[in-house]
Amino acid sequence: MSETLIRLYRNFFFRKILRVAVTVFIVSTLTFFIVRLMPGNPIDIYISSLMSTQGMSYQEARQMALAMFSIDLDAPLHLQYIQYLSNLIRGDLGVSITSTGTPVAKMIAEFLPWTLFSVSLSLFASFGIGVALGMVMAYRRGGIFDTILTGICTIMSAIPNYIVGILVIVFIGIQWNLYPLETMRGTYTSTITPGFTIEFIVDVFKHVLWPFITYVVCTFGGWALSMRANTISTLGEDYITVAKAKGLKESRITFSYVGRNAILPLFTSLTISFGFIFGGSLLIENIFVYKGIGWLLWSAINERDYPTMQGVFLIMTTAVVLSVTIADVLYGLIDPRVRRGE
Amino acid sequence: MTKEKYLVKWRGTASKTIGLLKTIYASKHGTVGFLILLIYLFMAFFGSSIRPLDTTPKPGQMYLPPSIKYPLGTDNQGRDTLSFIVNGTFDVLYISLVASMVSVILAVLVGSVSGFKGGTVDSILMYISDIILNIPQFPLMAVLSGLMRLTDVSLAMLMGVLSWPSLAKAIRSQVLSLKERDFIEAARLLDLGTRHIVFTELMPNLMPYIAVSFALAMTYSIYNYVGLVFLGFVPFRAYNWGVMINHAWVLGAIYNRDSILWILSPIIAIVGLEVGVIMFSRGLELAFNPRLRK
Amino acid sequence: MRPILSIKGLSVEYLSPRGRVKAVRNVNLEVYKGEILFLVGESGAGKSTLGLTLLKLLPEGIAKVVGGEVIYHRDDGGNLNILKLRKGRLRRFRWKEVAMVFQGAMNSLNPIMKIKDQMYDVIKDHGVRLSKREAYKKIEELLAMVRLDAKRVLKSYPHQLSGGMKQRVMIAMSLLLDPKLLILDEPTTALDVLTQKNIMNVLKDIRDKLHLTMIFITHDLSLAAELADRIAIMYAGSIVEVGSVEQIFYRPKHPYTHGLLKSVPKLTSEIGKLESIPGFPPDMINLPPGCKFHPRCVFRRDICMEKEPFLQKVEENHYTACWRWRDIFGEE
Repeated sequence: MSETLIRLYRNFFFRKILRVAVTVFIVSTLTFFIVRLMPGNPIDIYISSLMSTQGMSYQEARQMALAMFSIDLDAPLHLQYIQYLSNLIRGDLGVSITSTGTPVAKMIAEFLPWTLFSVSLSLFASFGIGVALGMVMAYRRGGIFDTILTGICTIMSAIPNYIVGILVIVFIGIQWNLYPLETMRGTYTSTITPGFTIEFIVDVFKHVLWPFITYVVCTFGGWALSMRANTISTLGEDYITVAKAKGLKESRITFSYVGRNAILPLFTSLTISFGFIFGGSLLIENIFVYKGIGWLLWSAINERDYPTMQGVFLIMTTAVVLSVTIADVLYGLIDPRVRRGE
Repeated sequence: MTKEKYLVKWRGTASKTIGLLKTIYASKHGTVGFLILLIYLFMAFFGSSIRPLDTTPKPGQMYLPPSIKYPLGTDNQGRDTLSFIVNGTFDVLYISLVASMVSVILAVLVGSVSGFKGGTVDSILMYISDIILNIPQFPLMAVLSGLMRLTDVSLAMLMGVLSWPSLAKAIRSQVLSLKERDFIEAARLLDLGTRHIVFTELMPNLMPYIAVSFALAMTYSIYNYVGLVFLGFVPFRAYNWGVMINHAWVLGAIYNRDSILWILSPIIAIVGLEVGVIMFSRGLELAFNPRLRK
Repeated sequence: MRPILSIKGLSVEYLSPRGRVKAVRNVNLEVYKGEILFLVGESGAGKSTLGLTLLKLLPEGIAKVVGGEVIYHRDDGGNLNILKLRKGRLRRFRWKEVAMVFQGAMNSLNPIMKIKDQMYDVIKDHGVRLSKREAYKKIEELLAMVRLDAKRVLKSYPHQLSGGMKQRVMIAMSLLLDPKLLILDEPTTALDVLTQKNIMNVLKDIRDKLHLTMIFITHDLSLAAELADRIAIMYAGSIVEVGSVEQIFYRPKHPYTHGLLKSVPKLTSEIGKLESIPGFPPDMINLPPGCKFHPRCVFRRDICMEKEPFLQKVEENHYTACWRWRDIFGEE
């Protein structure tokens, strides 16, 4: 029995999945106790605000808060915790305070896809651009192209993404008036019915364009610089000299021998970068009023909509952890050396 | 320590520092970065006495263009923009320095303990750092600042506490590789104790790494801090770059074409600081890692 | 005998921050068809640089051929100046005409590709007209020749193989296109003694079965006794003595060769009789004037410090670059 367990733990995929579960569990536990136990915790604040603004009695306000947070406030703490967890497992994240009565889970289901869409689109684009540029820079290292691009990439990766977003709005949208950013709020034009129509798809891309550009501009430099460094060190590897001696085609050496080996270490950073961009959506979606989950979280924090805050944050964490895990597993498939276990 | 010994030691440190500065100076990036940081440090410490904060609204002179009296023009209430930029420097530098200090100290502690002790302690510490790494940090800080009142210092601490894991992992692997080398082995055979080994043998070898990571942690804290202020989640103080952007943003000043200088000033201040730190850290990297030099 | 390769007046330099490293200096050498030529010298003597030059593999921008040429004589009578080959022609020349096995310690294999694919890449990129099945049959035969379990090895990644196995894979791979000349650059270095022995046996098999021309680069003169037809001794970038195995081992005519032989352990020699050559290899940036070996030579006279000796004929096929060989060793 214990041997089976040990073997199971040694399994690469099982370990990854276990890590997802543990992380989500810890984060949800933390949020529960922060919301529930902090002095002046959200529930107390909500109750007192209900009492003062709606003129409710303490009992009524308590009942109301109880319904909102899906927590039985009369039960002992550990039972509340268990109830909270079992609600989570059933996908019940409580009910929004500001959009009265709307389940948080439903709101997330509505907003999350847009963030996943824009963030992963940007991530893949900037990764692709960065990797391509980095390889060219490495092959022409020391040249003018390399020198100029290294400078640009260094500066670009130093500028916060929200600064770029603000500059886009100020210059592209207002000062030079190049793009109707005003009308491009939200994720699609509300008069167009969603569906697989060209009109809708074009509209979706028009809306995502500038958030996309902002994400890409701020991240491609980092990819390019690390790809450049990796390529240079890979070019010095023995097997590249051997590949040349073997008379392999230039294109094959560049892609299968240099490229594949140089790109491998970047996959680990891909996961960190995903978390970073995903978290940054809080700022970028706010700037462009792109209604994804970052925007939802921003408005929830602003309006002190605690159940939504809690739910959105949990989902964000889950999304990041899942993506990290998927990337890890993919990495294991690409790099044969990893699968042996750590 | 006797006075002479102290002097010798001090001279050693001083000559090392001078050597370091020379190498940084030798790299173009490093020099530029260093000069930029000097300017910011100067603004942070002497700025408020040279150009005191202009707090009186002067409704008649909104959005003035640059002039000798107002080199960066005036804001939406006719106040001197430059005085706001200069006086806002200290906050950003202070918070990002505290945050990176906390982060680096935690990272060094966890990383070296983990690398040295190995076994269960190592597994647990690495598991914890993996979990923290997986939590999207900016949203977490935003949510926490929504849930409780964060002061500047507690915010800086929070940023530090959340951002140590990647450096800790790097330090751990450095420790693991250093551990194999002879001089550490010798120290261990002499039974000099873990603390001695960590602080007198390992630290000097890890310094390059820590210095560069410190700079990176700073850029990261600047990003987070200004971002939180911009979103309006962190308590306001009128003279803060993030607040300036936030005001321009929420008051709709960005739609006024004349306001451009008021909006650009804090933006340039932030970008300049970030670029300065990054360039300086590249200079440090070159100084510490001779292999990168041409 | 017909040469397959003629090296004429070849000189190669490396650019280093301290100055020019004169790695190969005016080397003249013919390699004959079907022979096994050993190139022996201390590390830093320029052997590996010479090997890389023969495939035009010197790192660009750092190393430079400053003089001479390398002519490859094709089977059909045509001559190729290897150093003048470019792009496509160079690519097709490599491995098809001249293949190379690198140092045992090198990571010659791409760590993220299966052996199978790395083998097949060679066949594909040289446009060999073989069906996939025929190609794999050939690959399996070669792996069997180097005494490897083809089925297992083909499916493996490099990290799943031992150092000796990897080196045997490289040897098999080098034979894939039936090259006319095989360069082995310290193929057994950094492998343990048993594995070294294995590799040498594999190479003997190949010699017996394929009658290939080989250039074997090593610092270990004792290996030459097992496999060589001819030996060229290199010192400070040039060849100081060349001759048959018998001539070199029994009638050396250069003090350096003599010193090398005395430092090689023999089964018959008594313990304690081993001698090493006094002094250190020269600084390749600031070479001494005259004979480059004179600072370490006990037989030196004034002429040795003034003029650099050229290769002089001792007897048929035996040449030495020493002013005083007659005085020291006597005529045969």
